[in-house]
Amino acid sequence: MDTSAFSARFVPIFLFSLNDKMHIEAETEISVDENGETEVELEYADIHYFLSDTTTFTAGKFLLPFGQYGPNQHPSWINRSAFSPGIYGGLGGHGGYQPMQGLLPVMSDIGVGIQHIIPLGKNQKIFFDVYMTNGLAAEAPHDDEEDAHDEEPVQDEHEEEVVDEHEEEEDEHEEVDDHALELPELAFEATSADNNSDKAFGGRIAYAFLPGIEVGASYYTAKYDDDEKLGFTATGFDINWIGNHYIVRGEYIKTETDAFEEDEHEENKVITFDRNGWYLQATFMAGKMFNVLQGTDFVVEYAETNKINEAERWAYGVNYWLDSRAVIKATYEDTIVHDGEDDKRFAIQYSYGF
Amino acid sequence: MKSVIQILLVVSLSLLSAFSSHAEEKISGAEVINNNCARCHNARAVHEFSIPEWKVIMPHMREKAHLTGKETQAVLEFLELTSQSVPLAKKVAPEKMIAPDGKQLFTQFGCQGCHSLKGDGGTVGPALDETIKNKGIGFFIKKLQNPQFNNSSSPMPKMPLNEQQIKAIAEYIKS
Repeated sequence: MDTSAFSARFVPIFLFSLNDKMHIEAETEISVDENGETEVELEYADIHYFLSDTTTFTAGKFLLPFGQYGPNQHPSWINRSAFSPGIYGGLGGHGGYQPMQGLLPVMSDIGVGIQHIIPLGKNQKIFFDVYMTNGLAAEAPHDDEEDAHDEEPVQDEHEEEVVDEHEEEEDEHEEVDDHALELPELAFEATSADNNSDKAFGGRIAYAFLPGIEVGASYYTAKYDDDEKLGFTATGFDINWIGNHYIVRGEYIKTETDAFEEDEHEENKVITFDRNGWYLQATFMAGKMFNVLQGTDFVVEYAETNKINEAERWAYGVNYWLDSRAVIKATYEDTIVHDGEDDKRFAIQYSYGF
Repeated sequence: MKSVIQILLVVSLSLLSAFSSHAEEKISGAEVINNNCARCHNARAVHEFSIPEWKVIMPHMREKAHLTGKETQAVLEFLELTSQSVPLAKKVAPEKMIAPDGKQLFTQFGCQGCHSLKGDGGTVGPALDETIKNKGIGFFIKKLQNPQFNNSSSPMPKMPLNEQQIKAIAEYIKS
């Protein structure tokens, strides 16, 4: 059992303004994995074309606007916890193993998108994002158990195992929520190729009453197999509520993942795995209320995943901002895994955004 | 079903665009910062970057924070204003100088974009109503001269104000 570990990531962002209408952005992540090998990942590289005062066209590899955590809040100098919310999996939102299997990774994919803003009088806006990308694929089968921990997402285990383990399911089962079932494993990593002609489609609509409240609803759908018979759909609702001394952030996500199941006549039939989860994170900016605590935040977060791979997690943290871009975070998390081993972790993180 | 939802979304979008208000009132860059930056992260101090650097950063933030082009421009104008050096007025002989108008300066430098006064204004910074009463005029003057002197994480920009102008703002806030 690991009792201590150090890790480091360098995530430079490159920005270029070609002219008033065109802007280029790119972000890479350079990190060292647990075997000491250097990993380099292109998180996004896209071009924005500002079509009008309120409309932006985006092309390239970009963070998908699903919820608020993935596109906006996952950088460690923005996220108020040292850990990513349980429903997004991984440590710090960039993959890695954690006992609570998330519902989605931070999604980044190659395609095109449109963003439109509708101002509704003073301090009110509607945000509208739609996009079309290459989409996801089925993860290639592998035998190494450790590999499962390396996967950024969430959906664990092989499609073949699903078929084998549940041959005896009744024909009428079209939706499955049995706790014992294993989800198909999906590959969310962006690729320049596509395994089928179906494109992922999604978007988010949000209402913002600034500066305090933003609520949004997100949708993502794609076929992931070569024959375009198996689909994956995610629906999400999010809230970001900001006050003088507090921030409350939360998201609910529901996923539906199709898989083949052989019936008694050994014919493949499509079944659907439902899964859902949510988190709520509250930050109390004590330094804004008490001078003696200047720069100090207290954070508490609860997350749970339901129906399959059920788990719940509490996280407690203290942050100290050295200045507006540098933070030291100490976070303790306690995860209860319903069909597995419970987990407790403590992390200290230093993060610097520039 | 998916097509119906898509059509409904497009129709809704068109209707909202048609009926949305497009007030031509001047946008406060400080207010845009207050209302939008804190949605994700701490507001960043102006002096962290030069104006040419901000001109590259702001289009990036325009897309991230769902800012309109006019709002982005307003922020850049505010950043340019606060990056100016203290006016030459500092060198003007006191007997020839017209007393600066604190209220006008308070508005000109967008103080209320981030601070509330008498119930109106932003929340990134603390309310100003009781600041001088509680902390003294010396604190107020020092804060405007060097906003990070008591709090290194403060995003407050250093305004190009001379001593007379700072005192005028203090008088306006006390009144």
